[in-house]
Amino acid sequence: MTSVLGQGFVLLGLIAAGFGAALGYVAGVRRSAAGLRLTRRLALLFAVAMVGACGVMWYALLSHDFSVSYVAQVGSLSTPLHITIFSLWSSLEGSILFWGLILGLYIAAAATFQRRGHEDYLAYTLATLLAIGAFFTFLIASVADPFAPTPSPVPVDGPGPNPLLQNHLLMAIHPPMLYLGYVGMSVPFAMAVAALLRGQLGATWLRPMRRWLLVPTSFLTAGIMLGGWWSYEVLGWGGYWAWDPVENASFLPWLTGIAALHSGVVQQRRGTLKAWTVILIMITFLLTILGTFLTRSGVVNSVHSFTQSPIGPVFLGFLALCTAAVVVLLSLRIDTLVSEPSNERLVSREGAFLLNNLLFVSLMFTVLVGTLYPIVAESLRGVKVSVGEPYFNRMAVPLFAALLLMMGVGPALPWGGSDPKLVRRALVRPLPAAAAALVLALLLGARSAPVLVVSAFAGFALWVTADQGLRPVRARRRRRGGRGPLAAVLVAPDRLGAYVVHLGVLITFVAVAVSSTFQREAESTLRAGDTLRLGGYEMTFRGAERVQEPHLIRHQAEIEVSSDGQDRGVLYPSLNIYPNQREPIGTPAVRTTAGHDLYLTLMNVGGDGSIGLRAITTPLVAWIWIGVVVMVAGTVLCLIPTAAERRAAMPRAVADLAASPAGGGR
Amino acid sequence: MNRRVLLFGFGISLPLLVLLGFAFQHDPQIVESPLIGRPAPDFRLADLDGNIVDLAELRGRPVIINFWATYCPPCIVEHPLLMAGARRWQGEIHFLGVIFQDDPDLIAQFNAEYGRWGPSLIDADGGVAIAYGVYGPPETFFIGRDGVIVDKAIGAVSRDQLLDVANRMLAQPAPATG
Repeated sequence: MTSVLGQGFVLLGLIAAGFGAALGYVAGVRRSAAGLRLTRRLALLFAVAMVGACGVMWYALLSHDFSVSYVAQVGSLSTPLHITIFSLWSSLEGSILFWGLILGLYIAAAATFQRRGHEDYLAYTLATLLAIGAFFTFLIASVADPFAPTPSPVPVDGPGPNPLLQNHLLMAIHPPMLYLGYVGMSVPFAMAVAALLRGQLGATWLRPMRRWLLVPTSFLTAGIMLGGWWSYEVLGWGGYWAWDPVENASFLPWLTGIAALHSGVVQQRRGTLKAWTVILIMITFLLTILGTFLTRSGVVNSVHSFTQSPIGPVFLGFLALCTAAVVVLLSLRIDTLVSEPSNERLVSREGAFLLNNLLFVSLMFTVLVGTLYPIVAESLRGVKVSVGEPYFNRMAVPLFAALLLMMGVGPALPWGGSDPKLVRRALVRPLPAAAAALVLALLLGARSAPVLVVSAFAGFALWVTADQGLRPVRARRRRRGGRGPLAAVLVAPDRLGAYVVHLGVLITFVAVAVSSTFQREAESTLRAGDTLRLGGYEMTFRGAERVQEPHLIRHQAEIEVSSDGQDRGVLYPSLNIYPNQREPIGTPAVRTTAGHDLYLTLMNVGGDGSIGLRAITTPLVAWIWIGVVVMVAGTVLCLIPTAAERRAAMPRAVADLAASPAGGGR
Repeated sequence: MNRRVLLFGFGISLPLLVLLGFAFQHDPQIVESPLIGRPAPDFRLADLDGNIVDLAELRGRPVIINFWATYCPPCIVEHPLLMAGARRWQGEIHFLGVIFQDDPDLIAQFNAEYGRWGPSLIDADGGVAIAYGVYGPPETFFIGRDGVIVDKAIGAVSRDQLLDVANRMLAQPAPATG
């Protein structure tokens, strides 16, 4: 019964999406208002169907209805409630259903919020989104059907979700964040398709598009960070990024998405780089599909891989179809996007933006090659190769360093860059900050060239970021004499937001550079009372205990930590044994301070009461996460409408009132 | 029509797509078991009723060992097939089930309800599963008359594979010494 209801909702979604896509396209060609209205309704119907389908699946999971195959696959009577809720996205079929839900919500949001000002494009935008929706519902209805009835006999209990996913609450938020990022890229993509079909790319297209691109990009930022954090807190190897194919897969669209955001700025200010922006958005979308394909087809091996399934070929077909459509559409229509005439100089703000874009794209290709090379090598030569960290570090670190430099140089340069004297002054002024950062790094004991270079670049960029970010506030102060900085910020929150994001990037960047260079570790077998020493810490093993929980057995060690003769508390690293998993899964215990982390992992528990303990100290790890939080906060600032946009959104009379001196406008 | 975009776009994307298509020919998760062609690791295990089964004593007749559990849907899928196989080759092939990390009570309950095709051996410390390199249930090992592993199936065994391998094993000459 549950199966039929779920399948019914999926079918409804498929029909709504299929009809909506066709109708939206026709309505776009004919510029039919009635057609657009109906398309919008079908878009909302699609969203309702997806919400319904997910609701049914959650109901089946919570009621342990093992007659639904997905529940039989990931459900278990002993799994705690909250984990049962998250198990919707813990396995292949469920994750695609969840994907459908998010797409449905995005489509509903696009249909609702883009009603005004975007009418010219909306029919095509919705048609494209619904076509994507039709593909996903087709997947859910056919090869990845989570609602398929379980073959008889229906089991009385299930194995529960993958233990790794049960180990930490971050697993509840990391996948949804990534999906919100991945799926959200469909909206700017659909808008880009619409712009190409219309053959025009005006301001009414660009402003909303940047916002629709900003939202998924920042979800992706948060999702990638949470993944790193989860890996750090759960996997127990002391790192947060392994250049794993699936990590890379989420990184690729992030790189091009950010490149597109930057080229959008140039487009807004100078009317150039239009084709660039559109192409980058399209590549971003294709990369999200590629990433999904890599994760779900089983062609790469990684912690993230779902099991081999027939979904792979179907996804590859979809990727091929989308790629072909994008290339053909671009070649047919790109010449309609004429950039405004300009005589640009390379040493100018827009030149820096262009260089920044090229760097992002090179970085994307570097990572793409490293990710796909093993697959290529295996299919061509039949050998298993693994492209490891050395490749990525050697190739990507210089590009990252160059981006860091550009983050300082770009915003310092004036638009147009016509006056060489002005340019020189802009580039000389931050130099003392760069020198100061370099000296500081030397004083703190940094000797490796990459860290010193990054420090100098970061000092330069920090100075420029602070200078540029605070400029509107200072300017306002001078003009108005004592008006609050908040008012100044609200005139153009996106400008400040952009520099706040840059500040976050700087923090994360420096933290990554320092933490990956100065990690130290020690490992030893300890009996009760033994002490392990590392970097000023003394860790004394007090004893281990065995805790039986409904769904796992936990071996937990009690480690007393002290440093400089002071008690620093007790840490409990543990090893968890899940009944249906052979390898025990460790949960590290971390002591975080502003300066560094102490990270303890239990390697094994001996029969004689001894333990194998590994301790790692890593400086500045917490700042990686703090930097990302700053980035996301900056993005939120960017999403606040600017004063001009607020005025535009107001009815005429109100706007006039607001603009009068008494209203406190300009 | 902008030819440059067309050529450049397909020039980059087509080879990539073709290569990804090729990648399907390899399943990174299937690694040919190094055990095929080697003597099956011996074991002595008790079944649910306490009867001891010693693999070495079964030599001379083919053996099919199936690692399974009640929580695994493919195990349930292949259950009727194994029932049919055990009936068909009764007295010709030994069918042994090894419980893979499951509660013996649940196994007994399952057997009572749906029938059993062979003894359900208790591999309490997982030692046998480790010796056979079992990654997850179900995995099925086909052992010839001479005690050498002939073939292996990961996931629910198919009717065709069962028929084919069983006939191959039965066609093997009996070893000189029992």
